[in-house]
Amino acid sequence: MPSPDLLALAVTLKMAALTTVILLLIGTPLAWYLAKMTSRFKVIIEAIVALPLVLPPTVLGFYLLIAFSPQHLPGEIWQQVTGQQLAFSFSAIVIGSVLYSLPFVVQPLQKAFEQLGGSLLEAGAMLGAGPIDRFFTIVLPLTKASFITAASLGFAHTVGEFGVILMIGGNIPGETRVLSIALFDHVEAFDYAKAHVLAISLLIGSMILLAGVYLLNLPRYATGKRAN
Amino acid sequence: MTTLNLDFSLNYKAFNFTINQTINLTGITGIFGHSGSGKSTLLRAIAGLEKKVSGSIIFDEKTLFDTTKNLCEKPERRSISLVFQDSRLFPHLTVLDNLKYAAKRCVNSQLNITDIVKLTELDELTDANVEDLSSGQKQRVALARALLTEPKLLLLDEPLSALDQSSKTKLLSLIVKVQQQLDLPILYVSHSIDELQQVCDNMLILSQGKVMNYGNIHQTIHQLNFLSASSPSEQLIHQQTSLSLPIASTDNGQGLMVLTLAEQEILLPRMQGKFIKQQHLRCFILASDISICLSEPQNSTIVNHLLGSISSIESSSTDESTHSVLVTVVCSGQEFFVHISTFSQQKLALCINQQVYLQFKAGAVRTYLY
Repeated sequence: MPSPDLLALAVTLKMAALTTVILLLIGTPLAWYLAKMTSRFKVIIEAIVALPLVLPPTVLGFYLLIAFSPQHLPGEIWQQVTGQQLAFSFSAIVIGSVLYSLPFVVQPLQKAFEQLGGSLLEAGAMLGAGPIDRFFTIVLPLTKASFITAASLGFAHTVGEFGVILMIGGNIPGETRVLSIALFDHVEAFDYAKAHVLAISLLIGSMILLAGVYLLNLPRYATGKRAN
Repeated sequence: MTTLNLDFSLNYKAFNFTINQTINLTGITGIFGHSGSGKSTLLRAIAGLEKKVSGSIIFDEKTLFDTTKNLCEKPERRSISLVFQDSRLFPHLTVLDNLKYAAKRCVNSQLNITDIVKLTELDELTDANVEDLSSGQKQRVALARALLTEPKLLLLDEPLSALDQSSKTKLLSLIVKVQQQLDLPILYVSHSIDELQQVCDNMLILSQGKVMNYGNIHQTIHQLNFLSASSPSEQLIHQQTSLSLPIASTDNGQGLMVLTLAEQEILLPRMQGKFIKQQHLRCFILASDISICLSEPQNSTIVNHLLGSISSIESSSTDESTHSVLVTVVCSGQEFFVHISTFSQQKLALCINQQVYLQFKAGAVRTYLY
């Protein structure tokens, strides 16, 4: 049996990794659509995507908790399909994290797609490349840095989550007890030594990740240069 | 003969474009007009890059686009390639990889990269990063890349506009060479009549989103002369005589090249380049560079004098304040255009069918390419 803190680390990493993958899968088409969109509804979608940046996590957590309960439709459907309750489960904190970290993935990608523009894609079409081909051979290599940034920010932000998880996940060891919650537990129990270990680890880990992102976005490291 | 049937319109808020024209695709067809005339829009619609088009486009008996049948071939499947004004090379790929990008996606490829690299003189640049290239080199790569898709029609959108003069002439001769070696029909968009005059067989003239004229390059240029004469405010080109004449001698021993105009001759400064006898040379003479004499000039430094007869005298119908006329003189079956003042016209009492001598310096016979 591993120590409770190591278990919390494993849950955290698993949650953050899964969330990042889901975010890239959802966030890429959403960012693409927003970058190309000219309708006035664009601002409404952009505002919804950006909401988690300003909303207290407890607000999002509160609404999700209600939605995930078996008394409400999303929770009810989940229970019928999987046979398990959605609230206070690992799945719940992954869904919550996806919503909570959405702007951190969508915004850098949208900005990158907008900057890339359509001219190189038109050139690709003139050379016989179809839309999927153009995405993988032109868009992806030229916006690589933004994809790495988006994935890193999404990952780091998910690791740093507290409020939403506390609301919808509770504190179940091996299921929903992540590092930030384990830290909170140690502080509540006046076990400052253990709290220090977790706090400093999270601090250093996040620092390294962010420094890596900023290093990648320095002009001389950025590979996603825009052609004129 | 391959034809391109264009029958469509396109509406934007401040711009409408309408065309109903069949273009015979032989050699290079020029598309001329000022900015905002719809030249680039036309090319983009043919390539399939314009969205708000309604009507039909039929290329070589294949319908590319027809709104009534709800048919629209995707741009990547039209067998048409477009070279953009701004090259649009992929910055994450080397020159060679840019070329391979096109070659890889070409079905039944016949051309090989090495041949095209040689043809477009890119031998020493294949490993270069595209961002290190000059504008002229970039356009050569863009041209080579477009050729490697082995299109049935090549569209060039102002390919020379970003280049300096020497790169312009170099790329222009390359375009002619490519057209001849690959026997590839080309639509060439430009706002420079000098470029088009050098390389095009036919020309389509657009003005404010409509076709104004279409036909043989020399004839359409000459028709533009009249248009500019009747409404000087809409001056589209410098009035000129556009010629394509056989070379009688590449050097007459005194540094002059001799062109044959039936039984008469035209002299111009000898040019660098490989020319052979009887090869046709494209050249033009500005209407303001020719003067009219009633008798054959004897003691003059001006070397060219041609005998002809006046076929028309055009004055501006809209602008009374321009004190000048455009005189058309036919010399050995060839029309020449002369721009003179009304004062001179009245002084010499010029009239239709009158026999006159045209005179112009050797240096007034211009070519853009050499």
